[in-house]
Amino acid sequence: PAGGKAARPAFADEAVQNLLYKMTGLNLQKVFRPVKQELKPPKYKLMTEAQLEEATRKAIEEAKEKLIMPPVLNEREPIDDVLAEDKFLEGTETTKYVFTDLTYSIPHRERFIVVREPNGVLRKATWEERDRMIQIFFPKEGRRVIPPVVFKDEHLGTVFQQDRHEDILNMCIAQFEPDSPDYIRVHHRTYDDIEKRAKYDLLRSTRHFGGMVWYLVNRKKTDGLLIDMIHRDLLDDATSLITLYHMLHPECQSAKEAKEGKLQGVDLIKVFVKTESQKEGYIQLALQAYEEAMATSTAS
Amino acid sequence: ALLAGSRLLKGYRGGHVVIRFALGGCTNRPFFRIVAAHSRRARDGKYLEQLGCLDPLPNAHGERVAGLNLERLRHWLGCGAQLSRPAEKLLGLAGFLPLHPMTVTGAERLRRRRRAQEAVAPPADGSPGPGDAP
Repeated sequence: PAGGKAARPAFADEAVQNLLYKMTGLNLQKVFRPVKQELKPPKYKLMTEAQLEEATRKAIEEAKEKLIMPPVLNEREPIDDVLAEDKFLEGTETTKYVFTDLTYSIPHRERFIVVREPNGVLRKATWEERDRMIQIFFPKEGRRVIPPVVFKDEHLGTVFQQDRHEDILNMCIAQFEPDSPDYIRVHHRTYDDIEKRAKYDLLRSTRHFGGMVWYLVNRKKTDGLLIDMIHRDLLDDATSLITLYHMLHPECQSAKEAKEGKLQGVDLIKVFVKTESQKEGYIQLALQAYEEAMATSTAS
Repeated sequence: ALLAGSRLLKGYRGGHVVIRFALGGCTNRPFFRIVAAHSRRARDGKYLEQLGCLDPLPNAHGERVAGLNLERLRHWLGCGAQLSRPAEKLLGLAGFLPLHPMTVTGAERLRRRRRAQEAVAPPADGSPGPGDAP
């Protein structure tokens, strides 16, 4: 995969986060869309203009909290650390023992979870065993001890056909740790499917949009997203996408030209399209359509 | 309220704190709670504090799950609690205490018994073996 993800700009950098947040958009209707909860009769309030603005401002604050992006981490290294080897215990038991430290005040990452195998070896538990034990003794809401079958590759296809990418990503965040291989696999599969079918709007204004953009920019598959943005007249988002691309791949042709010429807006997009993109024709067409639309709207 | 003859606060003569297994569960389904209690109390009766649990039956992944609250365990050991033999063996297996000598002895005895049985069984199966093993 492309380098530079952890080298210079990381996912958690302020500049990167700002760009991704701007691209996510803030569609209040979608963020506060009715979630399945218990039915309550609607409450109507009579407000002045000032109070309405105040309420909208508070709604925007809460929406910002809901749009905090989940972290993007590298895959975790498998644990295999042997604490003791007692060969003379071989054959006494038939099944292994898993011991979990139940001290309440230690963070889950530092908890001791050891396994005594039937051949007498005392080793630290693997990540899957750790997650299972921690879920058994310290259950978290929305997480199950054995991951649901829906996360297997055969069943993800059904989910994607029903256009429920956002739901499966929310379930994935609740179920797995951010650095587990399952989490990364499900996310990558979802992003690939969205990119294949050009359904970027499903994730816009959710907290997964930033992660998707990061994934696409790292693999240089940004063309579909660019076309989608131009179609929806989101030129600012397009420029921030290209700025992010240049931040992550500073050695490419368009990055150097942009830095020399200090281009802004549509020129930046044109330079990017000429040098980096694969679907040049489509993007040129979209740009032309956009410019014609702008011309007619300003003329009329 | 502590009326005369009340059963809420039982006073014993002698006795000490032990950390042992209290059996719970249903018929043919045992479940142990690792518990700090007075030695004179009933096995499943009122305890001072629960320090963990042990499920002796293997689960779907073939493992016997045990949880130990090591911090509180250390506290009670510091207060002078004693351990029952199965509790010592379990903690030895866990690695918190050194391995119990009876675990080692039990393993040795089992191995010796198995070797004796193997030496007896094959000659009875047909192929003439070297006679009875020592």
